[in-house]
Amino acid sequence: MRRPSWFVYGLLAAVVLGSMFPLWWSFLIASHDATVLSRERFPLIPGGNFLRNAATVIDTVPFWRATMNSIIVSTTVSASVVFFSTLAGYAFAKLRFRFSGPLLVFVIATMAVPTQLGVVPLYQVMAKLGWTGELTAVIVPGLVTAFGVFWMTQYLTQAVPTELIEAARVDGASMIRTFWHVGLPAARPAAWMLGLFTFVATWTNFFWPFIVLGPRNPTLPVALQQLQAAHFVDYSLVLAGAVLATIPLILLFAVAGRQLVSGIMQGAVKQ
Amino acid sequence: MTVGATTTAPPATTAGPLPAPASPKRERRGRRSGVDVRFSPYLYIAPFFVLFAVTGLFPLLYTGWVALHDWDQIMGQGEFVGLDNFVAVLTGSAFWRAFTNTVSIFVLSSVPQIAAALLIATALDRNLRAKTLWRMGVLLPYVVAPVAVALIFSNLFADRFGLINALLETVGLEPVRWHSDRFASHVAIATMVNFRWTGYNALILLAAMQAVPRDLYEQAAIDGANAWRQFWAITVPMLRPTIIFVIITSTIGGLQIFDEPRMFDQYGRGGADQQWQTLTIYLYELGWTRSDFGMASAVAWLLFLIIVGFGIVNYLITRRIATAEGKKS
Amino acid sequence: MQSSKHIYYLLASSTALTLALTACGDGDNGASADDGDDTGSGSGRQIELSVATFNEFGYEELLKEYEADNPGIKVTHVKADTADNARAALRNSLGANSGASDIEGMEVDWVVEFKQYPDKFADLADPEVEGRWFDWKTEAVTLEDGKLMGYGTDIGPEAICYRADLFEAAGLPTDREEVAELLEGSWENYFEVGKDFVANSDAAWYDSAGALWQGMINQIDYAYEDADGNIVAASNPEVRAIYDQVLQASVEDELSAGLALWSPDYTASFQKDEFATMLCPGWMLGIIEGNAAGVEGWDVANVFPGGGGVWGGSYLTVPAQGDNIEEATKLAKWLTAPEQQVKAFEAKGTFPSQLEALDSDVLLESTNAFFNDAPTGQIFVDRAEAVKAQPVKGPRYFDINTALQDAITRVDVDQTDDPESSWAKFVSAVEALG
Repeated sequence: MRRPSWFVYGLLAAVVLGSMFPLWWSFLIASHDATVLSRERFPLIPGGNFLRNAATVIDTVPFWRATMNSIIVSTTVSASVVFFSTLAGYAFAKLRFRFSGPLLVFVIATMAVPTQLGVVPLYQVMAKLGWTGELTAVIVPGLVTAFGVFWMTQYLTQAVPTELIEAARVDGASMIRTFWHVGLPAARPAAWMLGLFTFVATWTNFFWPFIVLGPRNPTLPVALQQLQAAHFVDYSLVLAGAVLATIPLILLFAVAGRQLVSGIMQGAVKQ
Repeated sequence: MTVGATTTAPPATTAGPLPAPASPKRERRGRRSGVDVRFSPYLYIAPFFVLFAVTGLFPLLYTGWVALHDWDQIMGQGEFVGLDNFVAVLTGSAFWRAFTNTVSIFVLSSVPQIAAALLIATALDRNLRAKTLWRMGVLLPYVVAPVAVALIFSNLFADRFGLINALLETVGLEPVRWHSDRFASHVAIATMVNFRWTGYNALILLAAMQAVPRDLYEQAAIDGANAWRQFWAITVPMLRPTIIFVIITSTIGGLQIFDEPRMFDQYGRGGADQQWQTLTIYLYELGWTRSDFGMASAVAWLLFLIIVGFGIVNYLITRRIATAEGKKS
Repeated sequence: MQSSKHIYYLLASSTALTLALTACGDGDNGASADDGDDTGSGSGRQIELSVATFNEFGYEELLKEYEADNPGIKVTHVKADTADNARAALRNSLGANSGASDIEGMEVDWVVEFKQYPDKFADLADPEVEGRWFDWKTEAVTLEDGKLMGYGTDIGPEAICYRADLFEAAGLPTDREEVAELLEGSWENYFEVGKDFVANSDAAWYDSAGALWQGMINQIDYAYEDADGNIVAASNPEVRAIYDQVLQASVEDELSAGLALWSPDYTASFQKDEFATMLCPGWMLGIIEGNAAGVEGWDVANVFPGGGGVWGGSYLTVPAQGDNIEEATKLAKWLTAPEQQVKAFEAKGTFPSQLEALDSDVLLESTNAFFNDAPTGQIFVDRAEAVKAQPVKGPRYFDINTALQDAITRVDVDQTDDPESSWAKFVSAVEALG
């Protein structure tokens, strides 16, 4: 096939630059001081203040705690979503049981139900349990998702040869052993991707953690919003916070960006 | 496969090895295994259903119950008031203003987004050097949290001292009053959404494009259709289901938009004149600022109905397009 | 391959770093008092107290001092960013009956709405603290049955901050005594001088109509709700009169710089010659100094239009849900004692509400270099004494005032409404409050 013209490359380069510019801009502002935005000219090169601003941010909001919280929440939720979704997806894809069809349709239908609209009672439930302000309040509702179940069902339907399962059963393996030794290994590629997407989604989630955790025990996005809500909005600090909070995911992206790309593309083909 | 299993489960589609002759020992194991086979699947799917019941379905239904009461955040349940909360919400102007804003931001963030995503996907669909790098470059904004995106863009869109207005002035244009002007504020917020999701959607569309049979293009090229015509005559129709999928998923998310408008100014209430107050912000304000869980719940239910309504409309359109496609071919 | 290995290494080491740093700061994790009892293994019973504040209370050093003087007590400081968020967080934890700190800071503008839930707070009445504060400071948190809901921390007596350089350029006096004389009197006078000023300057007279509103409404008793708790905001002629007056001055007479309080533009405007005066409660000095770093010419005049005024000021309360009410009360009492509040004033400029603190030499002799070495201690003591009473605010004050600030912003900042149409929207917003 013919190589595309410079125009295509130009267009894509513009898009990629546009994608990077806001991040670059926040680093630029974050590396100067509070007065940078009111100068006559905008800065074009980074100043030397980034580390100092970062240190101030870490002092002003409970940054390390928020980072740790985000790591705990995102990791737990991803691991759990992967495990339970694979289990359920395996059942839907490879096991035969009554009502499996309608139940799967139900799972898919719940994807359209915006569950966060139950925030008021969900909040009350958390309050009753004494979980407001605790990470469990954010972790528990995310333990397994309809999307995860759907995704793993789709994948496992074609990834696991039914013969393999039957062979294991003939050898006398119990259902869970069969799942463990046949289903789970076969699910690995899709499970990784599901884990990645769940991680990113959980890490960037704001509405529910904001409501139920509050400023006392925040995740990163919740801590971040505190920077802007102050009386004295110093944009070099606010954007230093934005940069700091983004770094972990940029690192993740550098390592797993390829998988994210192919994950999106595979998900789409199957829809 | 044991005897017990074959009697309860329907025959497997692929033929397995023949069952071994049943010995007494096997028989006992078979019964235990029968229970295992029969109940395990339900056990495996149970976590989802239990969790959905507790954190999804129950809250949604209970929201309806709360909506029928005076319900203070601190004092808890009050008098039963029937549909008063719904009436109060629906007759007040605030709800409708928030509704209009939500739809407006949604339209501004889905139409241009899909157009741009299509364009980018078309470019990515070429025989590029360093394919994966380009794809990753386009996806980068996806890993930036909406709150961070909103912080960055609120700064860029500052009315007097923001970069965007400075650039507009440099090229001799009037600065835009991004926070005062209702429409401009919607554009600014939609820009944040578009920034994060355009690349993501472009990759979804790219995947669908790659599934289009190449010989369709070759045939069209032989027939003398240029790239532009090929795009409209082949790519777009073949992509329609995917485009509709993208629209549906963005509807569910888009109508609940909260993070970006919340962070657009430091108060987070959607502007002094509710210029960019969305339904979810309105819900939050009622429940958590004014302490009125009753009214907040009414808004939650109305928002739910709106989303379902949009979903049905989407579905009908999809079906019509699907059948129209069927007739054509 | 090489590069991806490198990234793994980076990722791993930064995670390790994060873990290490978090581990170091682990002492103040799990701060909530209800699960803190078993942490002090071996060395007797350790009590953990948490103190929730917002903006700047100036308590950082004081809390360390308290820990040092009281072995067995560990204090965690939970700082919310803004009063609004602190209020929402407190409401949340009261509703949930868990999650509140042992001591909760509360601002004067919303302390009244929490008086509706007296059972949620411990009674702090104590003969030992009687007469410690301005009477009006204590009255605002005293319930009908004599229960005391909070201890006063600071108050926000207001003066006028001004840019001497802009005054000079416009031909006005620059000396702070002369400026005080010039601005002495009514709000009309303040606006008249303003008209004079803008006629001779490119700058506006003040920053924001919203700020002016705060200054003026805080001089009115029962502005939005009458003594029986009926909402009268829309029908109270006093409210409407100052609404018209503020907007007339701000928009018609172009005295306002049209900035939304605390917005990024507002912050940035301090670096330019956007306006010449500001209403200035004690806590505002720090904000001006921060925003206007590098700008010369700021000064403070010992004067306030319309008599004395307060803007802001806070209390410490002890939620009844805590496990260590007694110890918490002790700490709150200590923090709000005159000696400690003077130290807080030195740290962050929060002006004490304790009568005895007003005689403190530290306070009286303090000056502020950024404000041309103004004797800010003496000035704010005078301003505090000019305050005759704190206006009586009702439980819906916060919500109604928010709606009114919106109304003013629509005219002054957004310019999407004229005063009349914006007032109409305010009226319907108040009606919607019910």
